[in-house]
Amino acid sequence: MAKSSLHRLRNSWAVQLRVIHALMIRELITRFGRENIGFLWVMAEPLLFAGLVGLLWHFTHGSTEHGVGVIAFVATGYIPITLFRHGVARSVAVFTVNQSLLYHRQIKIVDFILSRFIIEFLGGMMAYLFMAVVLIGFGEFPIPSDLGLLIAGWLLYSLFCLSVCLIIAPLSEMSEAMEKFIPVTTYIMIPFSGLFYMVSWMTPGARDFLLLSPFVNGMEMMRKGIWGDQVTAYYNIWNPIICSAIAILMGLILCRRVRRKLTIE
Amino acid sequence: MIICSDITKSYSHGGRHKPVLNGVNLAIHRGDRVGLLGRNGAGKSTLIKLIGGVEMPTSGKIIRGMSVSWPLGFNGGFQGSLTGLDNARFIARIYQREYADIRRFVEEFTELGKQLRMPVKTYSSGMRARLAFALSLAIEFECYLIDEIILVGDQNFQRKCRTEMFERRQDRSMIVASHSPEFLKHYCNKAIVIHQTKATMYDDVNEAVERYEAL
Repeated sequence: MAKSSLHRLRNSWAVQLRVIHALMIRELITRFGRENIGFLWVMAEPLLFAGLVGLLWHFTHGSTEHGVGVIAFVATGYIPITLFRHGVARSVAVFTVNQSLLYHRQIKIVDFILSRFIIEFLGGMMAYLFMAVVLIGFGEFPIPSDLGLLIAGWLLYSLFCLSVCLIIAPLSEMSEAMEKFIPVTTYIMIPFSGLFYMVSWMTPGARDFLLLSPFVNGMEMMRKGIWGDQVTAYYNIWNPIICSAIAILMGLILCRRVRRKLTIE
Repeated sequence: MIICSDITKSYSHGGRHKPVLNGVNLAIHRGDRVGLLGRNGAGKSTLIKLIGGVEMPTSGKIIRGMSVSWPLGFNGGFQGSLTGLDNARFIARIYQREYADIRRFVEEFTELGKQLRMPVKTYSSGMRARLAFALSLAIEFECYLIDEIILVGDQNFQRKCRTEMFERRQDRSMIVASHSPEFLKHYCNKAIVIHQTKATMYDDVNEAVERYEAL
């Protein structure tokens, strides 16, 4: 009995992997087409954002702030936040947009969210790598002092983004008003994302408050991983892990409830 | 075998509640060819979608003991912005089939030629029907769900469907929604009449047609 259910779990897992793979390819074709650089466009926007804002800051704030390069600092902040904003934007009404594919029983609604998020995630990572290599070439970016910590921070930050997407997607199907609130919410989020600062630059009171945000914890880890001893970082890895676990649980419950009521043309 | 036990389905919108099916119990055996009769809006498509797992019943349970196709109808199953061949490739991937085999069958069965390289949203309903049938036949399901669509094709398509679906695959089960009594009398051995949220199974198709025509 236990063996057969394990076998079934393995089979279902293989089916879901196949479905997510197929959905990702389909998404890449519909979004970027097969012409010119194709799916490489996925990293174009985070790169442009990070690069241009970085340059802007370079000219307005000078080339370093608190002893770290401004371009690199802004760029490392912008790429993660683009992942979050794109992930959320792509999750809105994702079930309605893809409803014709729900005719195939093996496609689950969570697959839509996962496949879109994985594309954004890979795009963000590619942009990060590309930008770091180019900036290192210009001497504007340090060789990361702790690559493991940088990657761990990125993964935790991404995990929390994904868990938010899992909640946003079903909520956007439940109420149309939700959709109107999302742009302003992601905007308000910016100060709580750790984008423009290290927590150590803040007063102790503000520090404790900001460290409640899972984004800030992930961002501190990434920056500590890059600058090492040049910066002081405050973080607690359990904050993003626990927040993500709770959000994922809520999101999956919501998805299940919405799927039962979904009307498909 | 497919078992529907005590299914109810209702749609609600803006506080209004519309029951479509209520207390439906059905058993469809291997090799059954079941015609689905009912007036417009009686719930034929809804029942097909529930059996196909596209929508979930409000209460009750559906047990599928064989592989069931997706509902072949005017909507659904395809991504309109992708070409016919891209859709075929997608479907080959998610059903774990060789794309080359599927493609060969689709090209031969649909006779759509270059049109297969055009987005599906540019297809006529007859062309969509060809593509949907070709793909589901290439995948080889044990039970086919067909929603009205069989009658939209031209003579040539209907002849092909007859040989592929009704002659070569006689061992398969089928659930067909149709408004054509002649078609059902000819090809089905059972029929379900849906009326006022109730579904009744008849072992004699003629009896079901009489009941339907008396509605």
